[in-house]
Parts: sequence; structure tokens; C-alpha cells
Amino acid sequence: MNLRRLYMVLAVLLVVWVLLPIFLIATLAFSDRPSVFAWPKGLLPQQFSLETISFFFGVEGVWRAIRNSLAVAAMTLVFSVLLGAPAGYALARYRFAGADAYRLLILMTRAFPLAILAIPLAVRFIQLGIYDTLLGVALVHTALALPFAVLVTSSLFLSIPKELEEAAWTLGCNRLQAFLRVVLPLALPGLAATAIFAFVISWNEVFAATLLTLRERTLPAFLLTSLNDSPLPFRFAGGFFLIVPALVFIFVIRRYLFTLWGIASR
Amino acid sequence: MASIRVENVEKTFGRFKALNGVSLEVRDQEFVVLLGPSGCGKTTLLRIIAGLEQADKGRVWIGDRDVTLLPPRARRIAMVFQNYAVFPHLTVYENIAFGLRMQKVSPEKLKANVERAAALMHIENLLGRYPAQLSGGQRQRVAVARALAVEPEVLLMDEPLSNLDALLRLEMRAELKRLLAESRTTTLYVTHDQVEAMSLADRIAVMNAGAIVQYDTPMRVYQEPASVFVGGFIGSPPMNFLRLRVEGQRVRLGSLDLEPPAEVGAEVLLGVRPEDLEVYPAEQPQSFAAQVLVVEPLGPHLLLTLNFAGQAFKATVPPDFPAAAGQTLWLRPQPSRLRWLEPGSGRAFATG
Repeated sequence: MNLRRLYMVLAVLLVVWVLLPIFLIATLAFSDRPSVFAWPKGLLPQQFSLETISFFFGVEGVWRAIRNSLAVAAMTLVFSVLLGAPAGYALARYRFAGADAYRLLILMTRAFPLAILAIPLAVRFIQLGIYDTLLGVALVHTALALPFAVLVTSSLFLSIPKELEEAAWTLGCNRLQAFLRVVLPLALPGLAATAIFAFVISWNEVFAATLLTLRERTLPAFLLTSLNDSPLPFRFAGGFFLIVPALVFIFVIRRYLFTLWGIASR
Repeated sequence: MASIRVENVEKTFGRFKALNGVSLEVRDQEFVVLLGPSGCGKTTLLRIIAGLEQADKGRVWIGDRDVTLLPPRARRIAMVFQNYAVFPHLTVYENIAFGLRMQKVSPEKLKANVERAAALMHIENLLGRYPAQLSGGQRQRVAVARALAVEPEVLLMDEPLSNLDALLRLEMRAELKRLLAESRTTTLYVTHDQVEAMSLADRIAVMNAGAIVQYDTPMRVYQEPASVFVGGFIGSPPMNFLRLRVEGQRVRLGSLDLEPPAEVGAEVLLGVRPEDLEVYPAEQPQSFAAQVLVVEPLGPHLLLTLNFAGQAFKATVPPDFPAAAGQTLWLRPQPSRLRWLEPGSGRAFATG
């Protein structure tokens, strides 16, 4: 029983550690200016006001950064699904030489630190003429999101019995028709989750976006570079705006992430 | 409707030889069961006929078409899978209509076929439901209806009853038999359940280790097994095999004097089914003595395990037969039901 209590305490600490900053950022983003600057800050929500948020959106370059972020995230989403889903399908359905090695290699790409890659990547991008373009950033983000896309979709396709496809074949479908009529409708929620996850990865990514752009900043890159010389309300509002989409999306697709991580859900 | 002809099909998975040059003919409108233990290659053979698996060697004919290289969709077959493979995102109606929609039949024919197939399987009242709202038995009915709706030339069934519970399986078995006798579709049915095979088949193809070891009517397969394997696999309890010495072209079994086939060697196996042994509590002429080891009351009869010269075998007697462990009984096999087999190869000698 003591062990159980210890677990509970640890769990509560962990939850507080994660949630407290989010809570503070959220409450202060919706407070008026005096309470943002007040010290010590109260734990409970202060004067509710949209002043901070509207100030944030009024700052020069914010809208453009948001537009860039959306465009990059959208491109990342499309690339990840279009490249990741076929790879995941192949991993799930075919036994081919080196399948296991391939699966491992996909994960290895995530173990490779981006910091080492960044300089050569920047040089190469300049040579290719895609430095400081949204496409360039989206390509790097796709590389980051792809391992997840491949692994999630592969477990997704694995969960759809092969017999369903075979039944479709015997009933007159070719492979593409069977995929479109049987597999795709069943995989759609999971594919949507994969897409959203790729979107979130791109939306939150700051390192590559900062290094590979000068003028075409995404929102995290824009905030990172302007954080030091911007007022406190701007930081809170910006932080809030970065966190929220990620939180919402992750919450929506949590079931699929659990299956990816092998945790029994439902 | 069409016949099926399989010629010398071979299939290897890695190092495992699943099919070892199998040939099989199924006549038009015939119901043939592929029976064998798991891993004998029966499902692989069925999948090769369906086109879901490609044979390494050999050819497959459906009717007079060589379908060896055709994809499943061009073979005019339908298949029922062990796990039903009913499409979970479609209603029962759309499931049954799936194959017809792919064939682009007219809306009138589609509706008529779906309703006829649903009526055959008694699922007319389930047409609007989704598979998740159905029981296992109902899903199975949908799977069969979906296969029948496309009016296939050949119906392939892969252990369709094995996921049902025992009672439901019994019920579906009788229903399938009625249904397929009505629809007169050429059917190839895979199972490892010998009772299912016996009850359904026009002919049974018994498979073992990637080859067909006997292909005959159920009663012939039961009464005249081609080998020790067939005799032991079919029948519950299986056939008894007594190893006996041959002396001067005669075999002595107690006071019983038997004449084995002319081509026997020094020893021979005598195969006899437990129910083909007449059992007497007192000594009889033309019989042999054996000690009772175990008595198992099974309801319709008693199952005796007996010992004859160090060899255990089984016999069945009526439930009121006075039998106890340790007792000596006299047995006489029915002469017409004896089966002589070669001890080395396990193969039966040809009977005259």
C-alpha cells in the first residue's frame, strides 16, 4: 500500500510539473496588463481580458509567421501522409528482406541530432536555392515527422485484417480498388491522426525553422528570435498560442498514439 | 458452375514444402472437403485455387479455363474465410452487394440477388445493420450470403465453422448442407474436423504433409483407409492397428485364423475399427482374448481400452455390457471390415 501511495505522489508531482506552466501561461494570456506584470502572481486566474492576446496579434510580423507556420505544417502533413502511409502499408503487408532493419533505421533517423545536421543542411539548401523558403522548412519537418507517420500507419494497417483485402480481391477488386473501398475507409481515422501528428510536429518545431530561415519565419522561429526584446504580455500570449493547437490535437489523437506506444487503451 | 482441376501443384514457403505435387479434380456441382491436420497444406491449396497464393509449379483449371496466372477477381470464385472477413464499415446489405457492385450489375438484379442470398441465409431482417451489431453466427451467415450473391462458378470455404461455438456449429453444418445441395455450386471446403468432413462431403480428400493421401467418398475413407494415417485421423476413437506375425501366409489371432493378402512380409498390421469388434464375456470359437485396462462410459456406449499381447486397442460395447478393468474378454472382428496394412510404409494392401 505504501508503494501505491508513493506512485500517487509521484504521479501528482508529474502532473503538476507539466500542467502548472501551461496553466500559468493560459491564465496570464487572458489577463490584463497590470496582472501580467504583477509580482508575485496569483495562482488563480486574474482579471479576464483579451488585451494581452490582442496586443500579441497586433505586433508586426505575427500574422505572417502564423501564415508561414500553417503553410509549412500543411505541407509537412501532406508529405508525411503521402510518403509515410505507403511505407507503413508495405511494412504491414509484405515480408521483404530487411524489413526489420528498415523499421529500426526509421527510428534511427530520430536518434540523429538535428544540431549536427543543421549546418550541412543549411549549406545544401543554399546551393539548391531552397534556403529561407517554406518548402525547405517543410522538407526538414517531413523528415522529422516521417518516422512517426511510417510506424503509426504500419500498426494501423496491421490492425486491419488482411482477409478483408483478400475478400475484396475475390469479390472482384484489384489491389487499388480493394485498398480504396475496404482498407482506406477503415484506416481513415488513423490516417487523420497521423496527419494531425505530423502537423503538430511541424507546428512546434523551432530549431530547424530558425536555422533555415531569415525572413520566412514560422511562428516558433519568429517568437524565439524576438522573445528577448519583447514585453512580457507578448511572451505569454505567444507561448499560449504555440501550446494550444498541439494540446488539442494530441488530445484528439491520443488513442492512436497509445497504440503506437503499445499501451492498451479503451 | 464448373469443375476444378489442380495439376501437380507445388508450393514452398522458405524451406518448408507446403505442397508436394498435389493433383485434385472436383467435379461440377460436387462438394469436396479437404481434410487434414494443421500444417498439412490444405489451406494453402485452397488459397492457390482462389488465386490468393501463387503456386511455384503446376496448373489450376476452373471449368475449361486455365486460371493459374489469373488474379482472384478474374477467376469467378467466391470465398468464405475462417474469420468471416465481413467488411465492418458496410451494412449487411452493402456487404452482400459488394461483389455485385464490382460486377456493375443492374440495380434490379443487384437488389434481387442480395435479397435472395439474404433469404437463403435467413438474415433478411439484418440487412440494415452493421457487422459490429451481429453475433458470430450472424456474421458467418453474412459471409456466406456475400459469397453466394455473386453466383460464383466455384465456392471456396476455409474452415468457415471453426470460430463458432459447438452448438451453433452443429446447426450451421446442417444448414450449409441443405443450402449447398439447393444451390448446386461446386464447393471446396477446408476443415480439420473429421466429423464436419464426413457429414458434408460428397468426397473427402485427406491431406497429410503436403500431399493428398486418399480421395474418396466419406464412407470409403472411413471404412477403407488408404493408410495408417487416414485410419488414425478419421474416426473417434481412431482405428486400431495390431501388429501381427505372418507364419506360412496365415495370421493367427488367438483361435482366429486369418488369411492376409498374398504380398505380405514377415509382419502385418491389422486395422479394425472399435465398433467392428464383437465382444463376448466368455470364450468363443474364432476369437482372441484380451484384458480390459480401462472402461469409459460415454453414454451411447462404453469405450473399452484392452490389452492384447502388449498392444493396447479400443473397442465399443453397449452401455449395459458387464465390463470391468482387469477382466478378460473375447473379441471377434467382423471379417468384412478388416484392413491389412504394410507395417513399414503404413499403406494399406489393395483389397480384392
